[in-house]
Amino acid sequence: MNLAKVEKSTWIYLAISLLLVIVPFIVTGRSMQFIIIQFFIFAIFAMSYDILLGYTGIISFGHVMFFGIGAYSTAIVMNRFDSTILSFILAIIIAIILAAIVSLIVGMLTLRLKSHFYAMLTLALAGLFLVGAEKWRSLTGGNDGFTFSLPEILRDSQSLYMLCLLSLVLIFFGLRRLTKSPFGRVLMAIRENEKRTESLGYKIVHYKVIASVVAGVVASFAGVLYSISLRFVNTSVFATDMTIDVLLMTIIGGVGTLIGPIIGAGLVEFAHHWLSSLADVHWIFERWIILYGIVYILVVIFFPLGIVGTIQKKFFNRQNYQKKKQQNPRRKLDEGRKEDEDELYRNG
Amino acid sequence: MDLISTLVINGLATGMLIFLLAAGLTLIFGLMSVLNFAHGGLFIWGAYTGVWSYQLSGSFIIGIIVAIVTGLLLGLITEKLIIRPVYGNHIQQILITLGFMLVLQEFIKVVFGPNQIAVSPPAFLQGSFYVGDVIFIKYRLFIIILGLLVYFVSMFILKRTRIGLIVRAGVMNKEMVQSLGINIRLVFMLVFMVGAALAALSGMLHAPYSGVIYAEMGLEFSILAFIVVVIGGMGSFSGSLFAAILVGIAQAFMAYYVPALSLAVNMLLMTVVLIFRPQGLFKAKG
Repeated sequence: MNLAKVEKSTWIYLAISLLLVIVPFIVTGRSMQFIIIQFFIFAIFAMSYDILLGYTGIISFGHVMFFGIGAYSTAIVMNRFDSTILSFILAIIIAIILAAIVSLIVGMLTLRLKSHFYAMLTLALAGLFLVGAEKWRSLTGGNDGFTFSLPEILRDSQSLYMLCLLSLVLIFFGLRRLTKSPFGRVLMAIRENEKRTESLGYKIVHYKVIASVVAGVVASFAGVLYSISLRFVNTSVFATDMTIDVLLMTIIGGVGTLIGPIIGAGLVEFAHHWLSSLADVHWIFERWIILYGIVYILVVIFFPLGIVGTIQKKFFNRQNYQKKKQQNPRRKLDEGRKEDEDELYRNG
Repeated sequence: MDLISTLVINGLATGMLIFLLAAGLTLIFGLMSVLNFAHGGLFIWGAYTGVWSYQLSGSFIIGIIVAIVTGLLLGLITEKLIIRPVYGNHIQQILITLGFMLVLQEFIKVVFGPNQIAVSPPAFLQGSFYVGDVIFIKYRLFIIILGLLVYFVSMFILKRTRIGLIVRAGVMNKEMVQSLGINIRLVFMLVFMVGAALAALSGMLHAPYSGVIYAEMGLEFSILAFIVVVIGGMGSFSGSLFAAILVGIAQAFMAYYVPALSLAVNMLLMTVVLIFRPQGLFKAKG
């Protein structure tokens, strides 16, 4: 592999990941470690959502169903089988296959529809999964949920931290590779102009379905990590609140970038922790969802690009400006050459 | 026999409530191509303010009036603050209305408290009577009659008055209406307010029907309204009545025979319609 070809940003991201490896040795408090683990998990979930919202321009209000599928299949497998690493791997495989099948079916049925229908349909489908989890008591334990045991190594907070960090980094680089590939470019083309992409000969439904399967599988994996971090699962993994959380993370951080959802997940996760601890100060903080909702509305109106998107836009505008400045001499040169040619014509 | 007729009446009553919610949704979509995910929020605000004033004054009529006024005011605020900045941008509209739904739902808990509130129908609508061996519960009959009344009045306004003509023309081609010198923005606002008022009325009527109100029921109920709008055809007023009755009756029968599947059957209905007739059973007509 040619090291010189690796982008500068890749080194930066790798350096940050290495820094994060050290963190659990400095921050030893279990609750703080738990919050960071949750942040990693939701960062994965938010990135998978951004593949849909930010890269392909599909709004799904039911993305939480894949998260829930992952969480429940892990919990059920770990509950029914011995708590060994082998059954954990089995759980991951089942979670991924189930999510792939469900997202494929849902995608093929609905992605040819307009964005409105897709948003509504996915909202309703997630509702269906929620009701299903509540009603199928023999499997899911209903609203109360159930706990399950884990192999020794996953119970340790330190190793769980490393597992989540490793997953986050791998998925981040994997998705980054995906979005920079020709496939990712087609997705972005669909986001920008669906009809034009179609008339260029791309089968947009295929691309959308593949994007939704990728997003579904990654979300399901986030669900797996979520349930093992809690060692407990209940119907809240299918709740609409979860979808709204992940929407907020993606939108605040910046749609159409992968680092944006990670930053958004961090902000929301820490703000959540901080606001709930403020509940003793004033009762309004108990209803922190209102604050979330208002922030969210303001962001949608005023900063539709999110934090990262807004910064990037400013940065790139400056870069473009500088490029134009650099290009100007060449343009003069071109014009000069043209004049020369004109003279040649006249003389000839 | 009386079981089936009871279930049909239940279904009709539920259907009418869904229709009131879906009617606003479908008109707003047809005219402004805005899909209002905050509609369920207007529904619960109608329910809570209506019930609050009903329990305070003891008069059900006052409750209904308060609910409608709340709906009109909230519709005005929603249109001005939430929808207007994002006209024409579908993705932003969908995102922002869902966020507003959340704010509305949580604000209910701040203003009226997080607990469920029990509601009973007013005295003159309590009880039931027999015709032959078919039992009629008065409150359900009242909902059906009111729903049909709203439908016929709306149809009359849409078909026979000037404002109705403008609305129907706007559904077909808004640019053309605007170029004829009509302030389409004002029409948008009015339609949005009326749609919100219908949602609030639906919430208020739903309260004594289910006997209890809680903040999350807005989202639950609006999912049914979405299903209805999809089945009936986006923008079609009569279509939403037909689909609402269909969904209501399917819901009532399934809730009796296979309670676990009552939402699933509606989802199935919607899926089948979407696969075979993505534009809905009825097409939006002028």
